[in-house]
This record gives sequence, structure tokens and C-alpha cells, in this order.
Amino acid sequence: MAMSDKDNMTGLEAFFDAARAHPAEPSVALLTRIEKEARTVQAATRAPVPQRRQRASLSTQLFRLIGGWPALTGLATAAMAGVWLGVSLPEGLLVNEGDAAYLIDVAPELAFDLAGGNF
Amino acid sequence: MPLDTMSDEPDEVLLVLFANGDASAARALTGRLTPRVMGHAYRLLGNHAEAEDVTQEAMLRLWNIASEWRQGEARVSTWLYRVVANLCIDRKRRARNVALDSIPEPEDGRASAAETLQAKARAEALQAALDQLPDRQRQAVVLRHIEGLANPEIAEIMEITTEAVESLTARGKRTLTAALSGRQEELGYGDE
Repeated sequence: MAMSDKDNMTGLEAFFDAARAHPAEPSVALLTRIEKEARTVQAATRAPVPQRRQRASLSTQLFRLIGGWPALTGLATAAMAGVWLGVSLPEGLLVNEGDAAYLIDVAPELAFDLAGGNF
Repeated sequence: MPLDTMSDEPDEVLLVLFANGDASAARALTGRLTPRVMGHAYRLLGNHAEAEDVTQEAMLRLWNIASEWRQGEARVSTWLYRVVANLCIDRKRRARNVALDSIPEPEDGRASAAETLQAKARAEALQAALDQLPDRQRQAVVLRHIEGLANPEIAEIMEITTEAVESLTARGKRTLTAALSGRQEELGYGDE
């Protein structure tokens, strides 16, 4: 009578058990060779030396502290607008006629020189 | 790190230590992985000397890749099983086939108990039958039934689906059963 699948598998399992119980063992010489090769590779492979990061200059640090190019551009625009407002005050800001009386000329002699000095 | 404290460390951790130049890790990995690699290579090749050559080559590849090993991507054992299989397949293309009847003699001359001899004879009979299987069937059967791996891990090693693994092992076992059925009496299964 032919064996059933279950019988077959049980029979095979006994062979597999026997195979697991008798694995091919590496010889001592092989283990020695492999470990020796491991040491050779370790010696040849230098651990990567961590690259020292260069210290940034003071101006670069300040530039980064401000916030880089976007922040610097905004700062420059604000500064230029301030200078322009200082040099030529828009007339629209003087709403009433008497407002000009509150303007203080901080360098009258400069105005004189600019006018040519013949007054 | 002392060797005895490394016994619980995963292979991947030992490999990182190895890459950092730890000599104890080299010894621990050699002692832990070499027998596994050797056993697997022998099951795939059926030749002790060739299995030793493959083992040495596979381990050398592991040492060389250690510094580039990316943790979390693959298990060391999975990688090794794949390397061993590829090396064995390359060798088998050049190797002669061993007939099922020509079971090799025991390799050492130590006196053994009758049961040990019988178990060894069974293992050798299985090996001779395994030698007759196509490479992929043999690899799948060995990984599943001798190495005891789960189908998903075998699928990862062989780079196929789990369904394909199941198919390969089923066909392999049918062939093994047919090859070994006539030898069960001879190998002592008639009494069990």
C-alpha cells in the first residue's frame, strides 16, 4: 500500500532531524583562517577620521545670527527708506500750513553753503 | 568588549563593532556565523571541501562589507544565506552530480554508537537525495526544513514570493520522499 502524504512527511521529518543533528562542522583550520582574514580586513580598513569643521569667521557668524540673506535684504531696504525719508520729507506729511513751523533745521549753515554763500 | 559579554549581542551590533576594529567582535562573529554558513553550504553543495571554500569566501565578503553595512536594511543571516546560495550555485554549475546510491563514507574514523551511525547514515542519505534536486528546490527545502526559517524570510533570501517558496518546498519534498522511500527499511525506519 502506498504511503499517505502524512506518512511521507513524517518519514521526511526524521531525515531532516538527522540532518540537523549532524551538521557539517567547520574545521579548526577553517575557523583560524577566517578569523585571520577578519583581522587583516580590520587592519586594512581604517576607521573614517571625522573631519574637523572649520570655525566660521565673525562676519559669517553675525550674518547667520541675523538670519541670512532674506533678513539682510529686509534690513537694507528699511535702512534705505529711512535715509530717503530723512533727506526729502514728502510734502504730503505736512497736512496743515503751520506744520512747517515745527520743523527744526539742525544745520542752518549747511543750507547757507548749499545756496552758494552769497546771501 | 570581552567575548563572553557578546554572546547576547545581535549579529548586526557585532558587525558594527567589527567595523570599528573590535577584535573580540571578529572572534565572536567567526565563532557564531561560520558553523551556520558551513552547514548551509554543505547542504547546498554536498561536498565538505567545497563547502569550506564557499564558507571562507562568504565570510570574507562579510568582513569586506562590514564598514558599509547599513543597519535595519537586512539581517546579517539573511544576507549570508543569499551570498552562500549564489556562491554554491556558481560552483554547482561546474560540479559533477553525485548519484543517489553513492552515499559518501563517514568523514572521521571515530567509533560511534549504532544509533549515531544510523542517524548519520540518514543524514547522508538525505544529503544524497538533496543533491538530486534542482538548485532552487534544494535551497528552499534546506532553508525551510533544516535551517528552520519561516517562508517570508526564505522569500526574502531567494527574492521570490512566499507562494513560490511554498511551491518549491512542496515539489522538493515530493521528490525527496520518492527518493528516500525505498531506503526507509535500510535506514531503520521499519522498526519505528
